Amino acid sequence: MSEDKYKVLECRSSDNEYLHRDFHGALCYAVKYLDDTFGHKATAEYLQQAGVKVFSPLIAELKQKGLCAVERHFRRIFEIEGGRAIFRYEGMTLVIEVLECPAVRHLCSTGQLFTNRYCETTVNVNKAVCNAAGYDCSCVYEPGRGRCVQKFWKKENEVGQ
Amino acid sequence: MISCTEFIPVYSELFKFLEEKNGKTAVIAFWEHLSDAFLNNLRNCVVKNGLAGCFEYWSHTLSEEAADFKMTLDEDNQIFTIEMRRCPSKGRLLELRHIEPYKAYCEHCDVLYRRVLEPLGFIYELDLSRCDEACCRLTVKKKK
Repeated sequence: MSEDKYKVLECRSSDNEYLHRDFHGALCYAVKYLDDTFGHKATAEYLQQAGVKVFSPLIAELKQKGLCAVERHFRRIFEIEGGRAIFRYEGMTLVIEVLECPAVRHLCSTGQLFTNRYCETTVNVNKAVCNAAGYDCSCVYEPGRGRCVQKFWKKENEVGQ
Repeated sequence: MISCTEFIPVYSELFKFLEEKNGKTAVIAFWEHLSDAFLNNLRNCVVKNGLAGCFEYWSHTLSEEAADFKMTLDEDNQIFTIEMRRCPSKGRLLELRHIEPYKAYCEHCDVLYRRVLEPLGFIYELDLSRCDEACCRLTVKKKK
């Protein structure tokens, strides 16, 4: 058996860092598929359902500790994925100004499918997390540019509770 | 933004959502669409390099996913195998206490990759009998 025609690769989980950026591409295809097959309303419904379930630990932390939980969550993501964002508070509102979204950067730089509605993932997941925790939010994004401004604040009738 | 490190449970929830919408047929239709539209990198690797393209493709993706696996390529006998000792996706889903994995989660690998490789002249076999332990075995052989 010739050596160059027989190859073995063996890895342990600890040999590599868990960071498979192409998952952003699969999510982008999912958004496009749901939009095309079931409509925008279904896409929002899915993202909000998934948001509540997947991010239930963040919802619990937001309820317990307030906006610092959201800040910590996004700081960690931007550090892991190598994005650029400015975090600041305007009164009782947390503002995250995303200067370079690592997901959009990856999709565009690798020539993968990009739908202008990809950032609806952020809009809807943030909305679901905030609604479940008694908070509100906004997200204004520039499609395809990897820039957005996200704001988070406690709902008026929840202040002081 | 949903981080790529948070994607797997979001993906599993998508399969549940699709099944609630229109049964398992809807889930399989999505997997088939994803295979046709998204897996061009695997398709291109295999068209260019044959079975060695499988080795090239999965050595990249499984390393990025920090999987625990042994992969072999035997070009003389035209057999490629992956012995998955801990699938990073299923393993992650099993670890998350607040998420119930989609019941047929692992079947997406069967549909997605079979659909790329069989039309290119390969036999695709995926043993999912231990997938509830995040283990599986993939064998790809050249059709004789």
